[in-house]
Amino acid sequence: MQDQLSATFSALADPTRRAILAQLALGETSVTELAKPFEMSMPAVSKHLKVLQRAGLISRGREAQWRPCRLDAGPLKGAAGWIEEYRRFWEQSLDRLDKYLREIEAARTKSKTNRSGKKSSKTKSKE
Amino acid sequence: MAPSASTANSATEFVFSRTFEAPREDVWNAFTQPEHLKHWWGTPGSSIEIARHELKAGGMFHYRMKFPDGRAMWARFIFREIAAPERLVWLNGFSDEHGGLTRNPWVPTFPLQTQNTVTLAEQDGKTLLTITVVPFNASDEEARVFSGGINGMKMGFGAGFKVLADYLAQPC
Repeated sequence: MQDQLSATFSALADPTRRAILAQLALGETSVTELAKPFEMSMPAVSKHLKVLQRAGLISRGREAQWRPCRLDAGPLKGAAGWIEEYRRFWEQSLDRLDKYLREIEAARTKSKTNRSGKKSSKTKSKE
Repeated sequence: MAPSASTANSATEFVFSRTFEAPREDVWNAFTQPEHLKHWWGTPGSSIEIARHELKAGGMFHYRMKFPDGRAMWARFIFREIAAPERLVWLNGFSDEHGGLTRNPWVPTFPLQTQNTVTLAEQDGKTLLTITVVPFNASDEEARVFSGGINGMKMGFGAGFKVLADYLAQPC
């Protein structure tokens, strides 16, 4: 049995399935409606829906004959959270690098100023 | 995004770049020297202890990352290409305390290693850093999981799918 994140990412690897999820983020809809933007047979669309359903990303209603598809936000949130962590690791590391490089530069400028500015600081202290 | 029936098992890249107000030499040193890495590698509040750092092709950078909540984990680089001061390529992975590769603790099917390439380009005293991450020697499943993660990132947090990002931001 795959863990939830692996199942979610595996399902997200397909562009059609990502497009279906994006469509469902706008609200629940029927399989017929979902299939419209794709040049794809209904069985092909159904196959993608089954993958998404198995991964727990969508569910099919029972209340109406057209069995609306809807997004199940829980697992997607989990995936989004992990993705965000991954991205953040790099972003924040590079933020720290940026800060560190500025410190190095500032220390370098300061040591230069100190070397060339000894006389002026002496004059200042006399004032 | 054009709908397509293809299965996305091809190599997806994770790429991003950043410009630093610093000479390229400084950025290179910060990336390749342990005494500099200690100051910035990792998220804010975390720190690293370096067990090994051999800057040569095939050499290992082995370190332990400690987080503010007390958690700690080992990770490693295996350097592949070192072309100072413009190109650094390494295999990135989690490891045990002896430097042996381990699985991603959160997503066990994530590629065991990714290949990370950093390029540095100097422009008027500033440095453009670009990082590219691709799966390394990944199985079909690992490549799929990587691709789903990276494309999910583009989907959920890119401008094109603001709606989904908003939706996901709602409380359950």
